[in-house]
Amino acid sequence: MLKLKGVSECFYPETIEEAVKLLKEGKDSARIIGGGLHIAAFPNPLIRRLIFLNNLHLNYVKENEGRVAIGATTTISELINSGAINYYNGYSIKKVLQSIATELLRNQITIGGSVAQNEPYSDIVTLLAAIRARVLISSGDRESEIPLKEFYAGNFRETLKHSIIKEIVLEKKGEDFRFGMERFVKNATEIPLLNMGILVQLSGDTVKDATIVTGARPGEAEFFTEGEEYLKGRQLSEKNIEIFADFVEENINVDTDIRLSKEYRAHIAGVFAKRILTSFLREV
Amino acid sequence: MKAHFTINGEKKEFEFSEGEVLLDLLRRNGYTEVKGNCYLGTCGACTVLIGGIPRASCVTLAAQVVGQEILTVKGIGSIKHPHPIQKAFAEKGAVQCGFCTPGAVLTAYALLKNNPSPTVEDIKIALDGNLCRCTGYIQQIEAIKYAIELIKGGK
Repeated sequence: MLKLKGVSECFYPETIEEAVKLLKEGKDSARIIGGGLHIAAFPNPLIRRLIFLNNLHLNYVKENEGRVAIGATTTISELINSGAINYYNGYSIKKVLQSIATELLRNQITIGGSVAQNEPYSDIVTLLAAIRARVLISSGDRESEIPLKEFYAGNFRETLKHSIIKEIVLEKKGEDFRFGMERFVKNATEIPLLNMGILVQLSGDTVKDATIVTGARPGEAEFFTEGEEYLKGRQLSEKNIEIFADFVEENINVDTDIRLSKEYRAHIAGVFAKRILTSFLREV
Repeated sequence: MKAHFTINGEKKEFEFSEGEVLLDLLRRNGYTEVKGNCYLGTCGACTVLIGGIPRASCVTLAAQVVGQEILTVKGIGSIKHPHPIQKAFAEKGAVQCGFCTPGAVLTAYALLKNNPSPTVEDIKIALDGNLCRCTGYIQQIEAIKYAIELIKGGK
């Protein structure tokens, strides 16, 4: 079974400059290949040119003074094995990463590829957006590092027609930050039906700042700005968490698809918010 | 396109289409021990080791792994000289219909190379992508535990 019938050219650039040049030349029929899972699982007959990043040595995890740089072609397994972000402000990110897909696919899914595809069911995007990751874009001669939130707010698919993702950058937060994530799946290896990541900055037991991201809504991951604003300045107490869970259920932007109804998704979102915030309460 | 691969220790040159997945290239060239099924990377029947790492060959483009070392289940042992994992799978009843076995054995092989004393939880995580439609998971876990004993005992 020939999956990619239209492909007639494969390139293995040695530099980012070369990769970007090949990408620009190929226009809409060219694809940058990181792990290669997406294009093999969902073949696009219009693709003629594949540009493999194998020789760019972008599979690395570098830690420096609380800053973690993850090379674009680093796989989920490589990230887990690096141990660099297994615990993020007390939360086991390793557990989230290990619950994504299966070992075989975690050995292939790359962090940069997940960010570039921004698939609606991506746990990686929700996770990275919630912990305020930044993305380093390179067009060969120029590099720019921007927050993931800004990257997705712009026309990132257009950006990726003339540049590539080089790195994802995380900054470990201070002790006043708490992070938690929840995901709902029907079975261990399935894509999520809903996921949510919450990062809060506390001042004593009061929320100073918050980032809330929901994915698999079933649309692409989205920042829940109303919820972030609602939490700011509020005390993290059992009563307030209950009220916030109801607020989430009423205001979260979710929808119905073949797998789950809007109402059920909204209810789960409220439960997730309650679970995550309650876990912070135990640490306050 | 034409390119070299090292398969089970032997350097080989194959001609293949730029858009072909590794599974098809392998089976077309006689490596039928690599099984094809879902073509979505979800069942693990097509597992091979690429540079020692388990990968679903049905969603791995052959062009992406040009020049790399590929190991199929025949590369770790034979019927006359089975690897302890293969021996353990046979002795512990971990082979039922046998379709998932090559993939499960290779995943176990990669696990034990990196972690010679895995916990049951480690084994479960490693095998989570290798589905067994006969549901022989308990036997597979028992077989891997037995294989650890065989390897440690030098058998």
